[in-house]
Formats: sequence, C-alpha cells, structure tokens
Amino acid sequence: MNDTQTGGADLASAPEAWLRENPKLSNRQIFRHALARFAEQDPRLVLLEADLGGGGDPFEARHKGRYFNLGICEATMLDMACGMAHVGHVVFAHTFAPFGAMRACEQVRLAMAYPRANVKLVCDYGGVSGAFFGPTHHAIEDLAILRAMPGMTVFSPADGLETILATREMIQYDGPVYMRLGRNRVSRLEEPREGFALGRALCLREGTGVGLIAHGEVGVSVALEAARLLEGQGVSARVVNLHTLKPLDEAAILETAERTRLLVTVEEHNILGGLGGAVCETVCTHGPARQVLRIGIQDRYDPLAGSHESLLRGHGLEGAAVAERILVTLSRPQEPSLKPV
Amino acid sequence: MTAATTNARLEAPGDDVLGPLEAHARHIRRLIVRLAATPAGCHLGGSLSLVELLVALLGRVMKINPSAPGWEGRDHLILSKGHAAAGLYAALSEFGFFDSEELIQRYNAEGSRFTGHVNAKVPGVDFSTGSLGHGLGLGTGLALGYRLKDLPNRVYVICGDGEMGEGSNWEALQVASHQRLSNLTVIIDRNGGQNDGPTESILTQAALADRLLMFGFEALEVDGHDLQALCQALEAPATGTAPRAIIAKTQKGAGVPLFKGKGPHYAVFSPEQLRRALLSMGETP
Repeated sequence: MNDTQTGGADLASAPEAWLRENPKLSNRQIFRHALARFAEQDPRLVLLEADLGGGGDPFEARHKGRYFNLGICEATMLDMACGMAHVGHVVFAHTFAPFGAMRACEQVRLAMAYPRANVKLVCDYGGVSGAFFGPTHHAIEDLAILRAMPGMTVFSPADGLETILATREMIQYDGPVYMRLGRNRVSRLEEPREGFALGRALCLREGTGVGLIAHGEVGVSVALEAARLLEGQGVSARVVNLHTLKPLDEAAILETAERTRLLVTVEEHNILGGLGGAVCETVCTHGPARQVLRIGIQDRYDPLAGSHESLLRGHGLEGAAVAERILVTLSRPQEPSLKPV
Repeated sequence: MTAATTNARLEAPGDDVLGPLEAHARHIRRLIVRLAATPAGCHLGGSLSLVELLVALLGRVMKINPSAPGWEGRDHLILSKGHAAAGLYAALSEFGFFDSEELIQRYNAEGSRFTGHVNAKVPGVDFSTGSLGHGLGLGTGLALGYRLKDLPNRVYVICGDGEMGEGSNWEALQVASHQRLSNLTVIIDRNGGQNDGPTESILTQAALADRLLMFGFEALEVDGHDLQALCQALEAPATGTAPRAIIAKTQKGAGVPLFKGKGPHYAVFSPEQLRRALLSMGETP
C-alpha cells in the first residue's frame, strides 16, 4: 500500500488519471483506495475484515469508525454483514477467495444470496494467484459455486479501471455481489471501457475467425495476447470481456457464436462450472452449433510450489499456448455432428 | 469459576403482569399442539420448551409493533434454532402479528409462507433460520449495526443447547464480546435434547454458563419456565459493556403433562393424540 501518490488526480472523478499516477497498484490495492474514496461521500459504507486487512488499508486510515477487523472468523463475518446490512449499512466484507466462497459458503448462501442482502463480498487470491502458498490459498471453484446461487452478482475486473468502475456500481446497486480479484498482478488495459456496466459484456476487439470470451484479469490478458498472435497467423479474433458471470450477458455470447467459427473461453478457474460452463450452457440452450474450447484450470489442484505465471502456464493459460490450440482446432475437420445442417 | 444465578437487581414483575403473561403462554402452547396435528406436524418438543422465553420477550421485554412489524424503533428477536418455527409462529400470532386461524390453516400448506423452518416472509421475522449456527452471527451484526448508528434498539437471539455444537456460534460469541455489544442478549434454550437424543450423551453442553462467562459475557442461569425469573434476567440493567447470556433451563415438551417431561423432537399428531394432549393440558379439545 505504499506505492500510492496522494494529492494528485481524484480517483472518483478522474479514475484513469489516478491510475496513471499509481501505475504499480494491483486490483486489490486499487479496490481499497476506491472504497476509501467513495466512502467519503457515502456514510453507509462499512468494511469488515477477518484478519486479512493487511495493514495500512486506506479505508481503515480514513474511516476508522466504519472499519471492523473481526478476527479470523469468515463465517461470522458474513452472517454479521447480513445483520448490518439489515440496518441500512452498505457492507463490504473482504477475505481471500477460498475462505469467502468456500469456508463461509453457507453464510454466503443464507446471509447474502437468499435474503438478497446488500452485502458485497470482495475476495482476492482468486484462481491460482496465491501461487506458492499452495492449494489451501487457491480458489479454482469459487465462480462455479457463487454462480449457482440465485440472486448473486458474480464479477471479476479485467484491470484497475474496471475495479474502480465496478466498485462504484456495486455501491449503487442494492443487492449481493461477489467481486473476485487476484493477488499482486498489475493490470492496465488500453482498450476503452465506454459503457461499462455490471452484467454487460464488453467487446474489446472485433474478428470473425474465432470468438474468445474471457473473464478476469488473467483471462482477458491471455485472450488479448492470443488474439494478437492469431492475427499474425491470418486468423481474426473477436475478444469479449465477460466480466460479469452472473447475470450472464447471453446476447453477447450468442452474438459471438454467430459471428465466429469457434468459441474459446479463457478464465483462471476450473473449466467446470465457471465461464466455460456458462458459455456451453448458453450455446447448448439457444442452439447455435458451435464447438467451445475451454481454456482454464484443468480440473486439478496444484500441490507444488510455483510462481503465478508458471502455474498458469501449466494449465495452458498463456497467449501462445491458447493461440496454438486454436490453430490446431481450426485446422482439424469438424466432427460431422457439429456441422450445421 | 461459577456463573452468577439470577438475583433481584430489578423489581420482579407482579401478579398483575404475570397473570396475563401466563395466559399468553397457555394460548401459545395450545396453538403449538394444534400445529402438531396439521398434516406435516412440527418440531414439537423444542417449540414447547421455549414458550416462556417467547412470552417474556414478545409480551414484556421487547419493543415491538405488531401492526407495523418493520417499525424502525423495534427490538429484534432471532430464533436461531429455526426448527422451532411452530413455537415462534404461534407466539407471533398470539401477540398480534397475524391471525392464529390463518396460521393453523396455512402452516406448511402449499405456497404458504409458514414453512417448517423460520421464514423471513412471516411478519415479525427478520431472518430465515433453521440451518443452525447463523442466528448469533446475524444478531451480532445487527447489534453492531445499531451501535454504529448510535441507536438504542436491542437484539435477542435464541439458540438451542444442541445448536451450541456449531463452531460458528463460538466465533460470534467471541466477536460480540470483543466488540462489547451490550445491546445483544443471547438466550440458550437448555432443553437437553437434540435431533438424535439427549444432548449430554451426544455432545455435552455442561458448564455453558461458565463457558459464556469466560467468553466475556454476563452469564445468568434461570428456570426457563419461570416467567418472573426470565423477565428479571432479561430486564436487569447492564452492569458494564458485556453482552448478556441467559441459560434457560427448560424441558422439551414442557406444559403438556402427557409427555411427562420428555416431549418428542418432532411430532405429527393424529386427531386422537391431539385430543389427549389438549385434555392433559386442561384444555377443551
């Protein structure tokens, strides 16, 4: 948290300028600055921690009376969040993704989703970003679990700007939201984000050969890199940033299916039940005969130490590997059953 | 270390108060027994054990407004042992939140809000409960939320003694104590029974009062069927900033002599069983 400039651009009114002044911040650090900034105008905001505040949190520093480090008790933190929301507070609760989505899973279900409580669960350490800390600190199942809960909004920002835009929108939205962040990666996309809204996918790049649908900062950056490499091979690629897994922008998925020959999902999550699952469900339900290539965590845990990047590589989550798989798939004759009649 | 037992720190409610409260308890018990005779039956033993707790709270201690259940000045009751829904619904109807005949007709009926575990769609209920170990966390959050707003609303959470096996309760107790939530009162319905049998043979809850005292609560043990003692314990002014815990010693199936102090955890009564239960209570079937 020490890399922040102060006194420069205002995060709320000029987020892009603020991000340029703070080029080293990860999404989870940006979230903390955004919440602290928005809390200046909104006395309803409360931040709960379960001993993973990390120290030096700008919200704690600037709004001490509304910051509660409850101790190591994720389950109780989420039940409490629901109780506080019941009295009119807008409650943000933060912990690591495995603990928020899985240790406290039933609290999320019964204290957030079922009563549609105005609680925002913000979890970092999504995917394998916890890297060498091991699978106890990885979350490769969280999106599937949260997506199955009626009424939840499930979102992952692709970069710092989306983190700020989404944080502002979550505050305005009256209902439960899960925002999944990574750990220390710094993500800044150059693509414009006009019209950003939770639940509305953003087309980052047009193309007709292959449709890459991506989720989260790793998914989107891998998809964009793969698209650039494919372009060099003469394959044009559409890239859609499906930052919100729920509510799902089915129209954007179907539009991509219709405009391209192959769908590819890219996510830092198990290929079962998350983005890959959501896209397959959508195309199967609505009928466009498209093969879906699912890039993501290959349904296995990573018990050995490794950097975030090396773990991602092990699952084929890098631009070159994705481009290669796409080229192989496109060159292979399609199965008869997949041919449109 | 021994927990304090009730002492007369506040003038006890007199007969003029107790008489009507006792009448409420009789009416609620009659209703609960009738709910056991509906097609789906009810968690009978644990509904009957907490009747006096509900009467003391809803009938005297709590600020409520049955005609406007969401009134901002209200105190909150969270029945964490949400399987005792029949007891809570019966009490809420007795205190005017809805009509008792509606409850009898609609309890567990198709499309009814009166589900077998406590449903937040029922007037007077804030949170759906029944999965055990959530009420204390919810109540701790409410209490912290009110304190943050500097409001005087109070929060009462009723847990079962068997329910104290859930670890989340002990998380919440630690937090409530550390945050000094003196606007929170937890009442443990110490009826000694749980789904599969006697609590003491499954997972002992001995020394609950001492444990709560050591967790930083002001802990009291009372006879959970003694309305006077319950009111005293609930209304005693706070002695400091600690939240309060009341261990209410009760009996499953209390108030229905037919059960001889050993009421069933769950019951679906036949018309004949209903008749015998009501007769044993001195009620007209």
